[in-house]
Amino acid sequence: MGGPAALMLTMAGVGRVIIAHGGDMISPDLNRQVLGSEEVLGKPRAEHFAAYLRSMNRFVEVEAIDHEPDDVEASLLARRCDIILSCPPTFEERLRLNRAAAGAGIPFLDAAQWGMNGSLIVVKPGETACLECVYPTAPPFEELFPVVGAISSTIGSLAALEAIKILSQTGQPQWGKMLMIDGYGGGFHQVDLSRRADCACCGAGRTSEGTSS
Amino acid sequence: MNIRLVISGRSYDKAAQAPETLELAAGATVDDALAALAELLGEEGRLPDSCLVAVAGRHLGTIANHPAEPLRDGDEVVLFSPVAGG
Repeated sequence: MGGPAALMLTMAGVGRVIIAHGGDMISPDLNRQVLGSEEVLGKPRAEHFAAYLRSMNRFVEVEAIDHEPDDVEASLLARRCDIILSCPPTFEERLRLNRAAAGAGIPFLDAAQWGMNGSLIVVKPGETACLECVYPTAPPFEELFPVVGAISSTIGSLAALEAIKILSQTGQPQWGKMLMIDGYGGGFHQVDLSRRADCACCGAGRTSEGTSS
Repeated sequence: MNIRLVISGRSYDKAAQAPETLELAAGATVDDALAALAELLGEEGRLPDSCLVAVAGRHLGTIANHPAEPLRDGDEVVLFSPVAGG
């Protein structure tokens, strides 16, 4: 999802895209990695993805980070950004980015998928439910999970659309909502998310701005 | 009364074993609906505790932690197992 989202943001002409992705391109990536190709198998993802993005729009500054940021780095990066799009494979990483966005007071979009299903959460810091309000503890990580590129691209593009609306102050961002797409059956559902008063990220349970106990 | 069930996310495969509607006694709560569903799905089809619960478009919490919520005839109960993949 991060690839399609970054591509749409770059093509839309946002000022700067910072893309963080560790590891090398592997063949299982090819069914959804729109920024990758057979030619770069075995090569570091982030730098190649950044080069591809630069080739799409010379007016956009693209920065590549070749690893997954830890808590400190995520927090520092958030303070250089206007918005965070969260697309990593684990909830630990997603909750880390959520905390970084809350700490920096910037909007946070969580794009996720499994097989033909996907979800998108739009967070307005301090005002609407954050990811940790929805998932107080990280659900278990599946090492192997099904991915269909069509749903990854759909969710990634919808995340980019929300980001463009927020950045350009155009339209009505879906603040505080979770969109669920059931690609198996073709259904769409939207839920109004509720904040948790004791949320460790954005509620009374936080120990300091944007950090959890 | 009847409620509509939507099971999605990582538990999509379990949706195939669940009915689209559940018939419940008048005055039933979301916990009654979850208990009836758990009986239908059995231990093998158990939904994760982290599964999101929403009623009539409003997020209540997770299966493990949500307030008692009375249901009304025609309500849609959404159960969404967390997904994270990229």
